[in-house]
Amino acid sequence: MRTLGEFCLLAAFVGAGFSAFGCVVGTWRGHRLVRTAGLMAGVISVAALSIVVGALAWALYTKDFSFAYVAQYSSKLLPSHYSLSALWVGQAGSLLLWAFVLGVIALVCRFKPRRETSAMRDPTFGVLMGYLAFLIVVIVFAADPMDASLAAPHDGAGLSPLLQHPAMLIHPPIVFLGYALWTVPFAMACVALVSGRADAGWIREARPWALVAWTVLGVGILLGADWAYEELGWGGYWSWDPVENGSLLPWLTGTALIHGMMAWQFAGVLKKTAFSLALVTFGLCNFATFLTRSGVFSSVHAFSKSPIGWLFLALMAVLLIGGAVILLVRRWLLAAQGGAARSILCRESLVLVSIVSLLLLTAVVVTGTCSTALSTLFSDKPIVVGPAFYNNVLIPTGLTLLLTTAMAPLLRWKVGPSQGQNRWLMGSACAGGVTAILTAVMVSYHPLALAAAGIAVGAVVALAGALILDGQQRHPARPVWGVVTALRCGRGQYAGFLIHLGLVSVALGIVGSSLGHREQEFVMTQGQTVAWAGRDVRLMRRNQRDLADRIVAEAELEIARGGRVEATLVPAQHFHRLQQEWTTEVAIQSTWGGDFYTILHSGTADGQVSLTFVENPMMRWLWLGGGIIVAGALIRLWPQRLHDGNAALAAADGEDELAEETARSVVTRPHWRKIRSLHSAGDP
Amino acid sequence: MSPGVKLAGGLVVVVGVTTYMAYVGASSSWQYYVTVDECLAEPAKLEGNRVRVSGGVAAGSLQIAADRSRATFCLQGRSARLNVVCDGAVPDNLKENMDVVVEGRLAPGGLLRGDKVLTRCASKYESAAADSSSASSTGKKSP
Repeated sequence: MRTLGEFCLLAAFVGAGFSAFGCVVGTWRGHRLVRTAGLMAGVISVAALSIVVGALAWALYTKDFSFAYVAQYSSKLLPSHYSLSALWVGQAGSLLLWAFVLGVIALVCRFKPRRETSAMRDPTFGVLMGYLAFLIVVIVFAADPMDASLAAPHDGAGLSPLLQHPAMLIHPPIVFLGYALWTVPFAMACVALVSGRADAGWIREARPWALVAWTVLGVGILLGADWAYEELGWGGYWSWDPVENGSLLPWLTGTALIHGMMAWQFAGVLKKTAFSLALVTFGLCNFATFLTRSGVFSSVHAFSKSPIGWLFLALMAVLLIGGAVILLVRRWLLAAQGGAARSILCRESLVLVSIVSLLLLTAVVVTGTCSTALSTLFSDKPIVVGPAFYNNVLIPTGLTLLLTTAMAPLLRWKVGPSQGQNRWLMGSACAGGVTAILTAVMVSYHPLALAAAGIAVGAVVALAGALILDGQQRHPARPVWGVVTALRCGRGQYAGFLIHLGLVSVALGIVGSSLGHREQEFVMTQGQTVAWAGRDVRLMRRNQRDLADRIVAEAELEIARGGRVEATLVPAQHFHRLQQEWTTEVAIQSTWGGDFYTILHSGTADGQVSLTFVENPMMRWLWLGGGIIVAGALIRLWPQRLHDGNAALAAADGEDELAEETARSVVTRPHWRKIRSLHSAGDP
Repeated sequence: MSPGVKLAGGLVVVVGVTTYMAYVGASSSWQYYVTVDECLAEPAKLEGNRVRVSGGVAAGSLQIAADRSRATFCLQGRSARLNVVCDGAVPDNLKENMDVVVEGRLAPGGLLRGDKVLTRCASKYESAAADSSSASSTGKKSP
């Protein structure tokens, strides 16, 4: 099995390398045969990689300890699902998974059915295969998952107890999927820049991929946050840890990229910014890998010491320098064509402000994460900055982003708001002001709480106003039907606004849980009740259970409010026999008001137990925001029918590119392709 | 005033406020990041300051309170040892012979009063063999 795996790994490397060469050179020189051979080699490479992944997964499932990787990360008593999850726990396995996912994405990107052919497809595939070849080189020479154990042990070392958590099954692969997906917009940007086809055509191709990558990486980050929230000692859902920061960076620049692409598509501005952001976002995915795998940074999530991280850092440096040179050479292609904005209150202004805020936040996170290295330039001893550095910057940039998010639905591209939109802008500002006052009276005087609550309500009112105005414009006599039509025809646009509401919900969760957090320690005896945070908590009993792989010690707590029992929580301590290690398993009661978080520390022979109770207000809003973002992205990406005449109205406002295309298809159907290609050349 | 000038003014405000807030945050939260040997080479310079010290938990030195609210241990450097008293939640996987980072203040007499211990995620991306071979003899007590 291992020999087959080694052979397939080499075949995958050769295939990916030849595919990159064949697709790029074949397209450049116009050799169809070379291009086709390159495509075939790419398919063979991905097929070979899938065999390697299958072989490793099978070895993990059957606990074949002749594989050094299996012996290192699995054990006989480890449940099968965690044993399979070990595929992405180790250095070698996680790189292999990343490479495999990238290969599949490359195939989907190249062979996905389209309405029209694009000259970008083959060279884009070639660039993706080039990156795949780089990953496989790293795997073959620095982290081979097919390595043999020197002598197959009787049992493996097992998976770290901290990693035996349901989130381990989905969080890492989703983050790797996010990183792999960001390769596609990067590859398309490279091809567009190098080939001189730097028109809106590449945006139409790349924007859906960017949105998928953004959503997937965002979900991965939130799943990681949820895991860290439940794992004691990881600093809560966000602790500005270098590894956490590493995954956040491409997400921030990716957010800026998506908005930069829209500004290009609808206002003909920010072209160089969009290209730069595509390169930087992919570069930051490699930087995140450097943070995780170099061993240079102190992190609770990864402390490896490996030369692999430096390879990714070098690749990032090459990409950024090369990208800057190409952008400089091709700058004449990227002149703004939209003309100056006629009002400051237009969407491209908001996009610019958002991009600047996001890039400021990115710069601060990079500076803080690398402060140890940067500080040696002016200090004899390395200096690190604490969470206050990041949090202080998050306040102005976050509030600016929330404000632009709230205003966006009531603004238009290129021109100022209409009279109706102005009225609704005033209305949403008033609603936000009233909410802030009510928050001050009823909840908290903290300026951050007032601002977040006010902007959140303002955002909801602004979106409702935009929808009503849109409906009135479509069907003045039947506004309800008009709203339905607006939602149907402007689906992409309203899905985007739904994603904005998701972000507002995430912001509410962050603000609420940060400002309202409180905790207290208690020592309780069986049957004792303590009153805390509006709840009566009674220690029902203590249990101890002996399982095959662990000893479980737990405390059963009855949570009551106003005399009514609401929940029973069972915080526990687990002793893992193989690793001789204890883990703390918290228990949480989650409501819309907040989380009641319980931690069991220890017990004594006389029946007492030591517990900590924590209150985290509004945590559920944070996770709800994640759900809304995913829902919005799915609605946005769902294929749209191009046969609705009502879309012409949306197109008249220039609000939705799909509707715009729809309108064109309705008016000029016989020459649709021709007009579309002219449109691409004329940008936008 | 043209829209472009107004926009530039707004951006200058955002950049200015953000830079100021970053400066305030850095001023209030920075700390030296040193090894045990560097820390003990110039203790007078670091005394009273917040520091982040990296080193290994010396074998036979780890003591964890029954309620896991305090840990005492020796942080081993290349040629020196630093005594650490750490108050606050003790990480589940804190063991002897493992590399850790302790945040806290350096007290006179070469004692580090820590409030946070960062441990490494044992089996992620590297072998757990080194860690698992040295399980703590002073681990927590079962409830």
